[in-house]
Amino acid sequence: MDNNQSESILKVTDLCVQYGTFKAVKEVSFDVRKGEIFGLLGPNGAGKTSTLSAIEGLIKYQSGTVIVDGHNAKEKPLYARAAMGVQLQSTSFQSELKVSEILQLFAGIYGVKLTNEKLTAILKDISLEDAAGKRFGQLSGGQQQRVSLVISTIHNPRLVLLDEPTTGLDPQSRRQLWERIEAIRERGHAVVLTTHSMEEAESVCDRIGIIDHGKVITIDTPQALIEKHKNDPEVIAVSRKGRVTLEDVFIALTGKEVRA
Amino acid sequence: MEETIIPKTSTVLAALLRADFTTLWRNRRAVVMVFLVPIVILVSWKDLVAKMGAAFALSNSLTYGLIAIGLMGYTNSIARDRDKGIFQRLRVAPAPNWTIMMSRIFVQLSMIALVTTAIFVVGYDYDKITLTPAGYALTYLTAIVGGAVYLALGQVIVGLIKNPETVNSTSRLVYFTFVIVGMFGGMGMLGKQVEQITQWSPYGTVKTIMAAGMVPGSWTMDTTNALLVTLGYTIVFAVIGIKNFKWNTK
Repeated sequence: MDNNQSESILKVTDLCVQYGTFKAVKEVSFDVRKGEIFGLLGPNGAGKTSTLSAIEGLIKYQSGTVIVDGHNAKEKPLYARAAMGVQLQSTSFQSELKVSEILQLFAGIYGVKLTNEKLTAILKDISLEDAAGKRFGQLSGGQQQRVSLVISTIHNPRLVLLDEPTTGLDPQSRRQLWERIEAIRERGHAVVLTTHSMEEAESVCDRIGIIDHGKVITIDTPQALIEKHKNDPEVIAVSRKGRVTLEDVFIALTGKEVRA
Repeated sequence: MEETIIPKTSTVLAALLRADFTTLWRNRRAVVMVFLVPIVILVSWKDLVAKMGAAFALSNSLTYGLIAIGLMGYTNSIARDRDKGIFQRLRVAPAPNWTIMMSRIFVQLSMIALVTTAIFVVGYDYDKITLTPAGYALTYLTAIVGGAVYLALGQVIVGLIKNPETVNSTSRLVYFTFVIVGMFGGMGMLGKQVEQITQWSPYGTVKTIMAAGMVPGSWTMDTTNALLVTLGYTIVFAVIGIKNFKWNTK
């Protein structure tokens, strides 16, 4: 990691989220640096989406701090939101709007001037130059994800949050999306993504945090995690391919039982 | 560190309004229903205009239009978009929550103005009903005030019910209850007690202020009371609706 990456774009400290009496996120702390892709992994109901939702400002958190690009998300929510781009788990736009109109809408909301030339360039960049007049619902899953990703980065944010961005995509679309995510990193921006795909985490993420029962269990690079746990008896017991993978480490750390 | 720029509220609102008006335009087939019911009532009541007066016919027709806008248009669009996660996507952008709702409400207020104009045009064309300039101006104002009570009532429905299908059926049920009880109860066909209840219900008070607005000289103390009750209903409904409203259905 170079010096460029030491600057923290997102700093989460002792974050607690509670729904009624249920504590979904318990004192979660991590930071994401400039030019880094940070993966947040965990089984269903582990607290990944709650953590992201708290960072995004969609839910109120009981305690802790979230600093986005130097802005406290509780004290300056609009500044924090302006500094981040978000792709939600199930993104939907008004089905009556065309792709070009959706882009215009979000450009306006983020205060970006979108000329026709710029709009064409954006659509060309995501290989959708012929889809400007199509409605969002008429696009394939992969095309929808591309539109959704380009909207989350339309204002060139310093932090991009992606909640399970490749779910339901075919391998080609997934690989293409990975390249786009890596391109965001190359521009010096930070990315946080949640995923259930260990292959994705291993291929794309610089560091990963494993979260379970609302707590961060460990944070490290994928290689370091494998190296650190490869001789653990629990890891060896779940290993299936004769070599230890990130998935083996993940299952050993979070347990074998299926979560709802 | 690069400076974070917050877009101007006017820019955000302009973008939201453009999208919401485009959505309304693309849904114009559904919008036709909002216009159709009051216009059909106005046309079919041609004979009543001579007997009960133009203000009676126009105010009744307009009230049905306002109920349709508030209960069917606004309520269902909010319930549907909330269920699809459209609001959540907007809320993660630097758009204050109030701008999202303000844009939706402004679209509905524009619909109220359009329906009012359509009723005036049809009333003139078909029944030769004309009002004084003050009557037209005051009717637009009372239509906005009357429309607000139904928008607030719609807010109660989406505030208390999350499922869009249930919202749809509930808003239709409330709509037809208002139409039937308002029409027959207001005319005294369902007994004196129902007539009195109807008179001071949101249906009756809105009809009263609109009828008086059309003929400003006929504004009485009862009309002022009806206006105050209408404003009271709006405040109570809005508080309940906003307090219970959730931005997502999960």
